[in-house]
Amino acid sequence: MPGSKKPEKEVDAAKNKVSRRTFLATGGAIVAVDAIVSSATGNAAAASPASPAPASESYPASKGYILYDSRKCAGCTTCMLSCSLVHYGEQNLALSRIQIMQDSFGKYPNDIVMAPCLHCVDPTCVSNCPVDAAYVDTDNGNVRRIDTEKCIGCQTCLRECSQEFHRTVWNTSLNKSSKCDLCIDTPYWSETGGPGGKQACVESCPFKALKFTDETPEQTAEGYNVKLRNEHWFRLGFQDEDNPQPAGRGFGGFGASGEGSRRRKTESKTQPEAKE
Amino acid sequence: MTTKQISQLETEKYAEFAGGHGMGSAIFFDLVGNQLPFPAFDPRNLVIMTASPFAGTFVPGSGRCEVQGLGPGLYPVEWFAHSNFGGRFTAQLKFAGWDGIVVEGASDEPVWINVVNDQVKIESAKGVWGLNTWDAQEEISKRVIPGLKMGEWVELAQNYHTSQIPAVVTCGPVGESLSRLGCLLHGPGSQAALGGFGAVFGSKKLKAISVLGTGGVPIADPKALMDARLWFRQFQWDVDNPRDPEIFENGYALIAGKPKGGNVANRLPSRAVACASCPRGCKERTEDASTNEAVCAGTMVGGNDVMHQYGAGHWQVMATSGYIRALMREGVIGEGTEYDPGDLPAQGGGFGGGGFGGGGTGNSYWEALYKKMSTRDDKFGDLIAEAAARMAEKLGRYPKDVNDGTVRLTYWGTQEHYTSQVQVDWGYGSIFGERDLMLHMMSNYPLHWMAQERNPYLTAEEASDLYRQAMVPYEDDRYLVDYGESPETGIYSDSKIRLVAWVKHYEKFWMGMGFCGWRWPLCITNNTADRRGATPHAEPKFWNAITGQNMTFADSMEIGHKIYTLDRSIWVLQGRTKKMETFPDYIYDQGAGGNILPMYIDGEWKYDAGRGRKLDRAKFEDFKTRFYKFEGYNPENGFPTEATLAEMNMPEVAETLKKNNKLG
Repeated sequence: MPGSKKPEKEVDAAKNKVSRRTFLATGGAIVAVDAIVSSATGNAAAASPASPAPASESYPASKGYILYDSRKCAGCTTCMLSCSLVHYGEQNLALSRIQIMQDSFGKYPNDIVMAPCLHCVDPTCVSNCPVDAAYVDTDNGNVRRIDTEKCIGCQTCLRECSQEFHRTVWNTSLNKSSKCDLCIDTPYWSETGGPGGKQACVESCPFKALKFTDETPEQTAEGYNVKLRNEHWFRLGFQDEDNPQPAGRGFGGFGASGEGSRRRKTESKTQPEAKE
Repeated sequence: MTTKQISQLETEKYAEFAGGHGMGSAIFFDLVGNQLPFPAFDPRNLVIMTASPFAGTFVPGSGRCEVQGLGPGLYPVEWFAHSNFGGRFTAQLKFAGWDGIVVEGASDEPVWINVVNDQVKIESAKGVWGLNTWDAQEEISKRVIPGLKMGEWVELAQNYHTSQIPAVVTCGPVGESLSRLGCLLHGPGSQAALGGFGAVFGSKKLKAISVLGTGGVPIADPKALMDARLWFRQFQWDVDNPRDPEIFENGYALIAGKPKGGNVANRLPSRAVACASCPRGCKERTEDASTNEAVCAGTMVGGNDVMHQYGAGHWQVMATSGYIRALMREGVIGEGTEYDPGDLPAQGGGFGGGGFGGGGTGNSYWEALYKKMSTRDDKFGDLIAEAAARMAEKLGRYPKDVNDGTVRLTYWGTQEHYTSQVQVDWGYGSIFGERDLMLHMMSNYPLHWMAQERNPYLTAEEASDLYRQAMVPYEDDRYLVDYGESPETGIYSDSKIRLVAWVKHYEKFWMGMGFCGWRWPLCITNNTADRRGATPHAEPKFWNAITGQNMTFADSMEIGHKIYTLDRSIWVLQGRTKKMETFPDYIYDQGAGGNILPMYIDGEWKYDAGRGRKLDRAKFEDFKTRFYKFEGYNPENGFPTEATLAEMNMPEVAETLKKNNKLG
C-alpha cells in the first residue's frame, strides 16, 4: 500500500504552540535556535549574520517568468504536486516551489493566494546569500537558482525574499533552501525546462491560471498577477468588471434551451455574513 | 472512543483489496463481522474513513474520502453503508502518512481527533460540541494552529512546515442529536450526505476529525505519472480554447466537464473551485461566501448554507422535506395535530418548495426546520429527525406511502434518483446495493443529459458503441448499453446483467478509490475529436505509475467483484434476503416519467425516454435470479456461495456466513 509514514519526530501541536525556527550562522557552523516568533521575516535582523542590504549590484534579468491569474485558479494544487513530482519524484505540497493557499470559507477573490517565485530583477535571495548558493544561472537564461550543494541552511534567503510570503522554500528533508528554477533541473520529467522549455506547473494547470513569459513583468506582485481569462472563461458564466453579467449558465443537459433559461434568477444582493 | 486508546493498523495486510473502499470493507469485517447484526448507534459500530493510493496525488478527480460503517439513515435495516466527500481531507491524511482512520467505541464526553503527521490525539470538544459545522471547523483549525492566518508558512514543531490549513470533517447539531439526516461536512459544502454518518459521529460523541500533514506521497514511477497526467489533458475542458465551443459553452454544464456548473443557485461573482487534484472545478466560491463549495443537491435544497451549517444531508433532506409537505397537506402532521410544528414559519424556497435557489442563510422556514431536527424538543422535531422512512413507519404509513409513491424512497430509504424502470443500471445497481447508487458519469452524465439535449453530439448507436468499448471485460457485448425492452438485448437481458455487474464492480474498486462520480468513469467525452473517453485506459495507467504494479483494467474489475461480494456478505449477515431486493409497488404499477437513453428498437438504435414504462415484476425477479448466478451467489437467496468465496480467497467470510446459516 503506497503511503509515507513520517519518521519519529516531536510534534508540539498538542501543546497548542506553533514554533518557527530560525538559524544563526556563525563561521559556517549552524546552530539551531528554537524561538516563538510571530513572523520569520520579523526576526530577520536578529538571526542574520549581518544586517542584509538591498541588492547593490545589478544582475542580468531572467529570461523567464511565471505569470498567474489568482481569479482563475481553482485551488486544485495540481501545479504544486507537479512541481514536487518533477523535482523530487514525490507528490508533496510542502516541497513545492510554487505555493497556493486557500480558505474554503473565504470570499472571492481573497480566498486564494498564489505564490510563485517572481525571479526578481533585484533578487534579494541572491544578493543576501552569505555563501553564494543563491545565484543567477547565466548559462540557463539568467534564472535565479539555489545550489543545494552550497546551501548551508541559514535561511537568509527565506527571510530576505522581497515577498511577504517568501517564495524560497525550505526543504525539510535536506534542511536546505530551494526555489523555482523554471524546471531547469527536473530529474523526474521527460521534458526540457527552463526559458525556452516547459514548466511543470504551467503545463499541468487544468485552468491555465499560470503562463510562462520571457518579458519582464512590473516588479510588484500585482505585476505578475494578470488576467489570463479570455472570452471562453466568461461564457461559462463567470463575471468581472468587464463582464458584469453572468452568461451562458446552464444546469446540466437542460442547457440554454431548458431549465437553465427557465430557472429563477437568484438575486445578486448582498447577503448577510455567511457565518453568523 | 470508549477507552481513548489509539492503535496502528498495518494496511499491508489488506493489500489484496487495493485500498479505499475495499480495504474499509475488509477492516469492518475483520473487526466486527462476526458480531453482526447490531444497530448503527451501538458503540461497536465503526466509522472507517479511507484514502486510497491516489489520495494526495494529482490523479484527476481522485481525492474523495470514503466513509463506511452501519448507516442509521438506511431502511429497513441500517445497512453497512458507504458515503464520501470531496475537498482536501484525504490528501492531508496521506501527507500525514496515513491510509485511513477507524473509529471504534463511543466516548462518554464530546471529543475530536487531532492528526498532525504521526501525532494522533483525542482532544476534548468542550467549546466545539454544539457549534455549527462551519464554526466548529474554524475553531478546531485555530486549536491546531493558534493564530492561524491564510497566506503564511507555519512550522508545526520541529521541521514540519506547511502553507496549508487543517482539513476538518465534522458533524453538525443535526448529527449530534442522532438525527438520521446527519451528514459529515468538510469545508462549507462538501458532504458525505448518505447513510447518516453525522449521526454515527454524534452517537460516539465525536464532533470532528482534523488532519494536517507535511509529508509526501512516494511515487513508483514519477516520469510515467507526469506523462500520464499530461496525457489526460486531452479529456479535460480546455478553458482557453474549448473544443466545439459553439455547442458546449452554452448549456451542457454538467456533462462537458467544464468549470462551474455544479452550483445551481449562485449568480454572484465567483471563482471555480476544485477539490484536491480535480481538473474540473465544479464548485464555486462567491464574493459574499454564500453557497461556497456546494454543488448540485447541496445547492438545490432550501436554505442550503443553513443546511450545511446544521449538518443535514441534502439527499435525505429532499425526501424528508417533501414528505413533511405531503403529510401537512393531508393534515397528518401540522398545526393542531399530535405533531404540531409550533412556531415553524411559512415555507420558503428550495427544492420542491418553490423552485431552485434559496441560497444563503436567510430562509427562516428552513433554518427552523433544521433547528427542530437538531433539538428534537417537541414531537414534531423528534419525528422529522428520524427522516422520511422512519417517519412513515412511526406514523404507520410506510407500506402505503412508499408503495404508492407519495414518498419515493425507492431503495433502502433513499430517494429515487434516475428513473428506475428505464435507467436500470442505476435502479438495479441501487437495489443490489445499500442506497442510491450516485454513480453519475456512467449513463447519466454525459450520456443521458447529452441525449436530453435537442441535438446530441453522438447518435444513439455511436454513444452506445463507445460506452461498451470502454466497459472491459464486457466490451464485446454490442447491447450492453441498450435500455430498450427487447427480450434479447433490453433491460431484462443478459446484456444488462453484465452492465449492472460492471457498474457494481467499477463502483467498488474505482469509485471506492476516491474517484468522483462527476468525473469517473469517463466512457465518452465532448473534449476529444472522436468523443472517446479516458476509461478504461486512464485508470490502470495512473494506478501502475503510482504503485509500480502492472494491473490491467480487467484485473481491477475482478477485485471490484470481490469487494462487492464482501459487502454483500456483510449485508447478508445483517439480514439481507432476496425478497428484500425488490422495488416499491409504484415502480411496477405506475408509468415512468421518462429518461432519454440509447435503445435498440425494432432493429434500430434510437434515443427514447421509455416514458410510461412499468417494470415487470416477474421479469425483474427472473433477472435478479440470473444476476445472482452470474455473480456467483445462490440464485435462490442471493447469498455468496462457498465456491465463490473460496475462489476469491475469502475463507473467513465463508466460515462466518456458515456459522450464521447464511452461506449460499
